[in-house]
Amino acid sequence: MTRIALLIAGALALAMSSTGTAQEVKQAPRPAAAPSITPSNVTQDMLNRAAGDANNFLHTNGDYTQRRYHPAAQINAANVRRLRPAWIFQTEIKESLETSPIVVNGVMYVTTSFSQVYALNAQTGEQLWHYKQALGPITTYCCGPNNRGVAVYEDKVYLATLDAKLVALDAKTGTKVWQTDIADPELGYSETMAPTVVKGKVLIGTNGGEYGIRGFVRAYDAKDGKLIWNFDTIPENSVGVWAEKDATGRDMHRNIQAEKEQLAKTGDPYKTLGGGVWQNPAVDLATNRIYFVVGNPSPDLDGSLRPGDNLYTDSLVSLDLDTGKYVCHFQYIAHDVWDLDAVSPPVLVDVRDKSGKLISGVIHAGKTGHIYVHDRKDCSLIRFSDAMVPQENMWTLPTAQGARMLPGANGGVEWSPVAVNPQLGLTYAINLHQPMTYHVQSAPYPNGKLWLGGAFKVIPGEEQAGNITAVDYNTGKIRWQVKTPQPMIGGVLATAGGLVFTGEGNGRFRAYDARNGNVLWTFNAGAGVNAPPSSYTVAGKQYIVVGAGGNVQLDYKRGNAIIAFTLD
Amino acid sequence: MRFGLIATLGIMLVPAVAWAQTIEEKAQICGACHGENGVPQQKTMPVIWGQYQGYLYLQLRDYKSGARKNDIMSPLAQTMERDDMMALALHFSQKPWPDLQQQPAPPDVAKRAIAANVSIGCTGCHLGEYQGAGTQPRLAGQTREYLHQSMMEFRTRARGNNPGMTDLMLATSVEDLEALAQYMAGLQYRAGQ
Repeated sequence: MTRIALLIAGALALAMSSTGTAQEVKQAPRPAAAPSITPSNVTQDMLNRAAGDANNFLHTNGDYTQRRYHPAAQINAANVRRLRPAWIFQTEIKESLETSPIVVNGVMYVTTSFSQVYALNAQTGEQLWHYKQALGPITTYCCGPNNRGVAVYEDKVYLATLDAKLVALDAKTGTKVWQTDIADPELGYSETMAPTVVKGKVLIGTNGGEYGIRGFVRAYDAKDGKLIWNFDTIPENSVGVWAEKDATGRDMHRNIQAEKEQLAKTGDPYKTLGGGVWQNPAVDLATNRIYFVVGNPSPDLDGSLRPGDNLYTDSLVSLDLDTGKYVCHFQYIAHDVWDLDAVSPPVLVDVRDKSGKLISGVIHAGKTGHIYVHDRKDCSLIRFSDAMVPQENMWTLPTAQGARMLPGANGGVEWSPVAVNPQLGLTYAINLHQPMTYHVQSAPYPNGKLWLGGAFKVIPGEEQAGNITAVDYNTGKIRWQVKTPQPMIGGVLATAGGLVFTGEGNGRFRAYDARNGNVLWTFNAGAGVNAPPSSYTVAGKQYIVVGAGGNVQLDYKRGNAIIAFTLD
Repeated sequence: MRFGLIATLGIMLVPAVAWAQTIEEKAQICGACHGENGVPQQKTMPVIWGQYQGYLYLQLRDYKSGARKNDIMSPLAQTMERDDMMALALHFSQKPWPDLQQQPAPPDVAKRAIAANVSIGCTGCHLGEYQGAGTQPRLAGQTREYLHQSMMEFRTRARGNNPGMTDLMLATSVEDLEALAQYMAGLQYRAGQ
């Protein structure tokens, strides 16, 4: 708690000394007539029922289960070949787009890099308002100045910013209602994820696993931004059980004796152990629990400074929604020295357990290239899928000269959300194949500066690729897989129309047949489509919408387009 | 010899910084090395006009703490408090980036530099076309000699205020770093966000 108080004090001091805090709101140039549409309130009941709401897309990943399965079926396998752009909106920022468009009764909210928000008419693409967060001078982040979107609740829109602030905007006007300092960016904290709002609480994690932070998930009061609870993703006792094998039973080649000697010398490394949370928690409304995954330990590749299992890094974690108290966890990789951490948002779905009984499950797509299937009750692992990408030399330890091992450090599945078709019992994941060497170097904690403990290096000349893979989560078997020419990053949408939508770094945005992976429709967006698509219905017409802004991390061609499609 | 003179100049100027009243007066001292018009006096000194406030502040902070060392900058930074550093950083960030008239790298050098970036992901932090933002410095159009010197100093740990950069430079060949310096120096300034 002392540390939290210090962090908040530091963040406040920084905010007071920064050059300005006022936001800038631009109204779109438009005729004197009233706006074409007025943003409407979002009730908790609407949020609860989002999975069956064909008109809207109310959560980053569709609904609280995060299945990204939209119930509209107007666009389907038989007619998707007639899908055409309805409108294209160009943002002011031409940089990585990772936004999940949120749609509320005909109004769309999208975000851009550098923490900006647009409200658009979802039928026409007309701009209703534009909010630019006045970022402070210090922004410390990994993998680009990205933003993955907003959350909506009652009359407000919630945004987490690159300089680690939580902001509530008036949904009708885009003006700031309140702002809270989450943490001190000078110590490596930043925000790129979208918040989740449930029962009056705004849930948010933090980035910073590359900077020696101590990660957390927090609940803030949706009304005024006051902190309700904090859960440190790194407990004060982070040592764990000295696990020698990963979730799949493979030996991780830890030198436990050396780690124990280091622990005796330097103590528990929890204060700078990382454990960022990159993506939204899933919410189980029936049990009042949340489920999220925790990222890598700091420093990424040098385990010598951080003895122990490094709990709860590389883990699925469940908490009580009301109190933030720990319920259960499952660690995929203890004492990770490859940055093959857990970042793709978990999904709640009913699954078959080992005896074939249907139970409440939770699944996560790992950077390792496996889909992990868990029992929601205690987080225990039921099964893991066939590997979706080539694996080689796992788990070879990093060396100073560089040791080859596959997958490369970006995965497997990166932060990209998966989608689920519960009728087919399939989950759809996009993967990277990037052969890399893993290099280790040791340096002490650098006070908020980049702290990798080495490097992961793409091997020049070796073929890179990607794929979209459909996995039967009740068996762990791959049902189908389509290879793509480049590693994939962005996200997936499945629909009741029997379709799966996802994009590629080369600008292709495609619809696949959910049953067999046949390519049914292709559009070239001119810039990398590396954002998760959404779907909604206005005036009786279903739309698919996606951002085409490229990607910083993989250096895919940048753009600034939000593109909405409907049937011609 | 030249370095010795500049170092002496820096030490002589320390009291002046302490007594300076305005940001403009403080900034004049910086101009002795970094250039009155933004063009550095020596090619191994960085362009600071138009560089980002967050990055400039962190360098001053690190010179003061000793995380980064330089015979001129370290004593200068000792005279500054956080607010002074932020104000000075803001002052220079608002100046126009100078055009040093550095030529674009020839195709073979550019190809090598682009391949090195694919390998270690420089633009993952320094962003598209190496334009930077916030605390990530703009490298496009920086002096080739300073870029090369900095990368080599990270590599040898002579520059110790970013161990992540040291790791990445150690994972990159000296030949690739030379290509990167030439390539980045030849890129054009583009207005930041």
